[in-house]
Amino acid sequence: MSTFDSFRIAGSGLYANRKWMDAVSDNITNINTATSTDQSAFQERMIVVEAADYGSGQGGVRVAGAEFGPAEGRLVHEPDDPLADADGYVRYPDIDLGDQMTQLIMAQRSYQANLASIERATDAYQAALQLGKG
Amino acid sequence: MITDTTMTALHAALSGLQQRQEVTADNIANIDTPGYLAGRVDFESTLRSELASGQSATVGDGAVRQSMDPTRTNGNNVNLDAEVTIATETGLRYQLALNALNGKYDVLRSALRTS
Repeated sequence: MSTFDSFRIAGSGLYANRKWMDAVSDNITNINTATSTDQSAFQERMIVVEAADYGSGQGGVRVAGAEFGPAEGRLVHEPDDPLADADGYVRYPDIDLGDQMTQLIMAQRSYQANLASIERATDAYQAALQLGKG
Repeated sequence: MITDTTMTALHAALSGLQQRQEVTADNIANIDTPGYLAGRVDFESTLRSELASGQSATVGDGAVRQSMDPTRTNGNNVNLDAEVTIATETGLRYQLALNALNGKYDVLRSALRTS
């Protein structure tokens, strides 16, 4: 444990939640990205996080990787689309906007909670730096 | 001697409280991590028994154990309200210990001045 570990730990939470918000905004941006039926749809991205064990002298959270939603997406009948196949179908990603917005709020609130941790640690360290000044 | 039992005890308390603050930050950072169990720090029981038996307090890390609170469906049991309560209390107790230590230093300072 180093002296200012609270900052590093809460910082790792900020990083993980920012990555989560990045993934969600990427998903929302591509929610209407159509592809032709012989290609895979845009795949929803989900961030996988794991705890960095505090007991082993680290603490915090790390982004372990990403998992992807179904490549099949959903088929939509849009014969006017230039990407449509012979039967008039295109492929849209299988992403639920309500689900993405919920995730966005969760990530945002967690981000704020980690910022609050940093503020509290700052207050404590500031007070400790004044120790014995009289 | 300048460093006495009170100062060592306060030092141990500051160290334990800082560790609790770190573990709380760790819990909040892992609030959405599947399978994560909240950590809880106990340094008070060691400190109390050391002081009761007349030893001077050892400054170091307290014991971290995992919270036995019920988990959510993703196996995580961090509650933000509990963590914020702990963080607030820990912050205030940290300030209290710092004030007490500053009080000790003030006494020493006046003793040095009147000699």
